[in-house]
Amino acid sequence: MLQYTIRRLLVAIPSILGVLIIVFAMVRLAPGDPAVLLAGEFADAETVERMRERFGLNERIEVQFVRFLGGVVQGDLGRSTRTNRLVTDDLRQFFPNTLELALAAIIFALIFGIGLGVAAALYRNTWIDAFAMILALIGVSMPVFWFGLLAILYFSVDLGWFPVAGRGTFMHLVLPAITLGVSSTGIIARMTRSSMLEILSQDYIRTARAKGSPGRTVVFKHALRNGLIPVITVSGLEFGSLMAGAVITETVFTWPGIGRMLVQSILSRDYPSVQGAVLLIAISFIFINLFVDLIYGFVDPRIRYD
Amino acid sequence: MTDPLAATVTVKPPRWQRRITRNPLAILGALLIGSFLFIVALAPFIAPYRAETQNLRTTYVPPGLGWSLRGPDNQLGLWVSEATRSPVGGVSVNEAEQYPVRLFVRGQSYTWLFGLIRSDVHLFGVDGPVRFHLLGTDEQGRDLFSRIVYGAWISLFIGLISVGIGVGIGAPVGAISGFYGGWLDLVIQRVIDTMLAFPGILLAIVLVATFGTGLTNLMIAVGIAAIPIYARILRGSVMAIKNREFIEAAGALGRPKFSTLFRHVLPNAMAPLIVQSSLQMAIAILFAAGLGFLGLGARPPQPEWGLMLARGREYLAVAPHVATFPGLAIILVVLGFNLLGDSLRDALDPRSK
Repeated sequence: MLQYTIRRLLVAIPSILGVLIIVFAMVRLAPGDPAVLLAGEFADAETVERMRERFGLNERIEVQFVRFLGGVVQGDLGRSTRTNRLVTDDLRQFFPNTLELALAAIIFALIFGIGLGVAAALYRNTWIDAFAMILALIGVSMPVFWFGLLAILYFSVDLGWFPVAGRGTFMHLVLPAITLGVSSTGIIARMTRSSMLEILSQDYIRTARAKGSPGRTVVFKHALRNGLIPVITVSGLEFGSLMAGAVITETVFTWPGIGRMLVQSILSRDYPSVQGAVLLIAISFIFINLFVDLIYGFVDPRIRYD
Repeated sequence: MTDPLAATVTVKPPRWQRRITRNPLAILGALLIGSFLFIVALAPFIAPYRAETQNLRTTYVPPGLGWSLRGPDNQLGLWVSEATRSPVGGVSVNEAEQYPVRLFVRGQSYTWLFGLIRSDVHLFGVDGPVRFHLLGTDEQGRDLFSRIVYGAWISLFIGLISVGIGVGIGAPVGAISGFYGGWLDLVIQRVIDTMLAFPGILLAIVLVATFGTGLTNLMIAVGIAAIPIYARILRGSVMAIKNREFIEAAGALGRPKFSTLFRHVLPNAMAPLIVQSSLQMAIAILFAAGLGFLGLGARPPQPEWGLMLARGREYLAVAPHVATFPGLAIILVVLGFNLLGDSLRDALDPRSK
C-alpha cells in the first residue's frame, strides 16, 4: 500500500507542475503588458514598475517562472487589483464556502444517484428503470444555471421556502447544493446501474442466491459493496469537477465562494485573483483525484498490483 | 408464381443499424437532433421576426396574453390582440381588434442560403398590424421564439467548431501517441495529463480569461478543452487495435507503418470517436451556454441561449418565461445529442447485447 501511495504521489507532481505552468503562462499570453495586468488597468506608472520589478518581468522567462514558483510556495500570490486585498486572504475566506457547497452537493448526488441506480438495476427493463434513467439523463443534460433559476423562482420566490441567495443557515445551502449536484446525480446513477447490472450477473451472486441468502442480503451485502467500487472513482472525479462547476452555481445563488470570485475577477480583469483562484481549484482537483485513487487502492486491493 | 430465390437473397442491414432503429431512445434522440438541424437550416423562414427587432412598447409580454381561440365573429382559429406595456400601468390588451394567426404569412423580408434566396414568407405569422409572440417577448420586446430559433445556429456552430478542434487535434495526437509509443507517447501523455488536471469547464474558463471573452474565443476554448478527451480515447483504441493480427499481417506484407495507421488502424478505431463526438456536442453546447450565462461568452445582442438566460435572470420574478424557454431549448438539444451518443455506443459496442 505504501509503495502504491508513493507512486501515485509521484505521478501527481507533473500535473501540479503543469498547472503552475499554465497559470504562469496566463498572464504572459494575455494581450497587454503583464506588468499592467498584474498591477491593474488603473494603476499608476509607479505601481506598474513595482510589479515589473517584483515578478522580474524584464528578466528571462525561466527566471520569472522561478520567482513565480517562489511566490506560490511562500503563499504570496499578490494583491487583487480590484479590492487591493491579498489574494491568499480572499482564497482563505472563500475556499471553505466552496468546499461546503461541493460537499453538500456530492452528498446529495451520492444518496440520490446510488438510490436511483440501484433501483434501476434491480428493476431492470421495467418502467422504474426507464423512469430512473430518463431522469438521470435529463439531469446530465440540464444547464445547472437554468435549474438553479427555476428552483429560485418556484421554491424561493413563489413558495418562500428557501432564501433567494447568499450563505448562512442550512436553508441557504439546500437549493445551491441540489443545483450543483443534479448533474453528478445523473452520472452517479448511470454508473451505479451499469456496475450493479454487471455484478448481479456474476457467479458469486448466483451462488449466494443458491445457498438461500435472503434477497436483501444478496443485493446490499454482496452486490452493492462490490458494485460501488467504480462508483467511488466516478464520485471522486465528480467531486473534483463540482469544485469547478461551482463557478456557475455560485454565480446563480450569489454564494460567496471561490468560483464566484473567479468569475468576478475575470470580468474585472483582476489577474492576480484569477491566477489564485484557478491555481487553488486545479490543485484541489488534483488532490481530490489523488485521494480517490488512494481510497480506490484501499477498497479494491487488485488495483495496487497493476 | 414467386421466385424461390428471392427470399434467400434479402440483404439485412448491418447489426448496429438494426440496433439503433429498434431503440426508442435512439429514435427520440434522432428526432430531437433532426428537428434542431431543421430549425437551424430554415431559421429565417421558421422565425416570424428577426432576432434583433425590438419593440419597447411590448416588453415582457408573456406567451398566451391577448390570444383567443375565437375570432370577432366567433370563427375558430388562433386570434391575437395587441398587448402593450406602459411604463406605469403594466400590460394592457386591446381586445377590440383581433387578427388571425395563419400559416405561410408575409412578413419581414430575409435572405436565405447565403443571399441566394430572398423571401418574406414565414412559416406562421399574423395577418394584420400586430405581432404574434409564440413564446412571449424579452426585456426589449424582442420575439423570444425568433431569438431561440436564430440562436440554434449559434449553438450548432459552437458544437461543431469545438468538436472539430477536439477531433482535429486530439485524435491525431492520440493516434500517434498510441501507435508509436515510446518517448513520444510519454511526452504527449504528460501534456494530456496536465490538461486533464483541469476540469473541462475550468480549462475553458482559463483560456477565455487569458485570450479574452467573446464567442470566437469561447468556441476555441471549449474545443481545446475537448482535445485531451479525444487524445485519450483514440490512444486507447489505437493501442488495442495495433496488436491485432491483421495489423501484424499488414506489417509483414511490407506496408509502411504510417500507411498502416491510416489504412487499417484508424478506420477500426472510429466507433468510440463517433460516440464521443455526439456526447461532446452536448458538452460543448452546455459549456458554451454556461460561459455565456457568466458573461464570458457571446455578447448582447447575440441570441445565444446561455446569454438570453442570463438576461432573463434579472427579470425572473416579473417575466419567468424569458429565462425558461432558452433553458428548455438547451435541454432538448443536449438531451438529443446525449441520447444519440448513448445509443450509438450501445449499438457499436460488440459486447453489449
